[in-house]
Amino acid sequence: MEKLGKKYRFNQINIRSGKLIGLVVLGVILVLVPWLVRSPYHMHLLIMVGIYAVLAMTFIFLLRTGLISLAIAAFWGIGAYSSALLAMRLDLSFWLALPLSTIITGIIGFCIGYILVRNPGFAFIILTISFGMAIVHVFGTFDVFGGYVGITRIPAPDPIPLPFLAPIEFSRVSKTAYYYLMLFLVLIVVLALYAFYSAWTGRAWRAIGLSPRLAESLGVNLFRYRLVAFVIASAAAGLMGSFYAHYMQSLVPGAFDLFKTIYVHIYAILGGIGFAISGPVIGAFIMTIVPELLRVVKEFEPIFTGLFLILLVLFLPNGLLGLLSLRQRVERPSESIARVGRWIRAYLPTSRSEHENRK
Amino acid sequence: MELPLVGQLVVNGLSMGMVYVLLASGFNLILSTPKILFIAYGEFYMLGAYILWGLTQELELPFFVALCLATLATGILGGITYRLIFQRIEGHFLAMIVAAIGLMMLMAQGTMLVFGTEARGMPSLFTGMIIVGGIRISVERAVLIIIALAVLVGLHLLLQRTNIGRAMRAVSFNADVAALQGVNSNRTYLLAMVVGCALAGFAGAIMTPVFAVSPGMGAITFIVLLVVMLGGIGSMLGAIVAGLVLGVTLSFGQYSVGGGVAQIIFFAVIAILIFFRPGGLLGKAREEVPL
Repeated sequence: MEKLGKKYRFNQINIRSGKLIGLVVLGVILVLVPWLVRSPYHMHLLIMVGIYAVLAMTFIFLLRTGLISLAIAAFWGIGAYSSALLAMRLDLSFWLALPLSTIITGIIGFCIGYILVRNPGFAFIILTISFGMAIVHVFGTFDVFGGYVGITRIPAPDPIPLPFLAPIEFSRVSKTAYYYLMLFLVLIVVLALYAFYSAWTGRAWRAIGLSPRLAESLGVNLFRYRLVAFVIASAAAGLMGSFYAHYMQSLVPGAFDLFKTIYVHIYAILGGIGFAISGPVIGAFIMTIVPELLRVVKEFEPIFTGLFLILLVLFLPNGLLGLLSLRQRVERPSESIARVGRWIRAYLPTSRSEHENRK
Repeated sequence: MELPLVGQLVVNGLSMGMVYVLLASGFNLILSTPKILFIAYGEFYMLGAYILWGLTQELELPFFVALCLATLATGILGGITYRLIFQRIEGHFLAMIVAAIGLMMLMAQGTMLVFGTEARGMPSLFTGMIIVGGIRISVERAVLIIIALAVLVGLHLLLQRTNIGRAMRAVSFNADVAALQGVNSNRTYLLAMVVGCALAGFAGAIMTPVFAVSPGMGAITFIVLLVVMLGGIGSMLGAIVAGLVLGVTLSFGQYSVGGGVAQIIFFAVIAILIFFRPGGLLGKAREEVPL
């Protein structure tokens, strides 16, 4: 398992000014994307990249506590369905349904996790697989969930009123508002994961990731910390599910089956398991954009994907980012961001306080 | 429900249950010896069925010759996949699961493209019914149950009485210690994989006269996973009990509530059981897998 994950750890929040400037530049580029990408279809792909990237992040997040979950898409689906039902049956606004469905998914994650997390290893994997299969049948069988044909006409998010300006409308034609909402949600998830990782929970998870047995002997309650990780991962998946439901405005149970989870695993592994935030983003981006460019025939797609998976684990176990860092001194994407930031700062007039520091 | 219907459902469930038992034993072998969660297992089952169908219907070989050939072919294919893929990533737990998932997608879609989506049947081998107390049992299903039982006894003897079986059990208990005793663990893994896949192919092949062959058969993996979970990982007796229980209950479940609901209920029952008995019905609670 050394190749696929053990030796890596989350880099802690350590924002030096160079990194800060680099992040600001990256943020500005992301904010400017709607002006660069004109086609609504490409915007749609980018929004899906955001959603998938978060799902892959939750996978890596769980993997580092020693849980291989194959029910990620199931919790994504629970978030989507609960949000859709809250909005349609109870007439709640999207802005209320979003946090509520996140909480609901978290609670369901707690109940399921309370049973499953006790037996990590094979039992956990097998049970998450069967949970993922069962949940599709739950969505398909009961009438509340709209059966196998799914739910349609889920309301779009209400417009946000702005003082002195036109309200922000969520239209499916120009997906700009959805794009910004996606960016905001991804940012929330990333910050939340960072926050949990820099708190005491993060220290326990890191210890469990390095050696469960050693951690347990030092008094870390494996079950409790793994359960917390499971609940957080489910809630994050539920958040993206809620967004997905109101973005697509229709849901079918088949969208949340095991294959979606498998794709989520591909995103994470392609980007590199050692890279908790940037790996999933890059993996999801490549896996979403490249098949579009190649225009793969739908029937052949699983064959290519299967072959690709096998080749990936055989020849590229550390992912694409791992490949980059093999060449030379390891430079993580966060370091590159910091480097760009320092480079930019070199051309800025030095401020007074920094001048004094240099003396 | 009156008695003959109940008896019918029980017999149908038992014959399906025997297939689950065969598959679960093979799956257990692969899971406990080379430590691969072999999701692609159901595809070998499907492949065995297709090979038997091709040999008997296209080449018109006799059934039992075709049965042996199908078993051999799937076993060899399993060995090849082990040598080509799993041996290179041995010990990398996640990598092996992911590779198995890739193999599953590849094989399922490949068969679908080659043979098409339509189900293919073959004429039944044994016609006729045995009537015991108002319960009509087709001879075919009775023969299926008997053959499967014979193979199970053979597997038991292989595991308990031969050196190969002892090596497999030793390696599954502790690979390092077994290696110190002079057991070639790589060869043992390969053998376990061959035997496991051959069992899957055999199960698929004996099912062919009873059920039609279709590319969707590979989805049986997910029922096998439940059987293995219910019986306990690595426990052969557990696999037998769980397979028969699941076979009979699924047969009743499909009759009364439908397959989807039956699967939901099963997940719930097994999750609750695992909560109280982490090792399944008859297995021991395992130490967690090193990640």
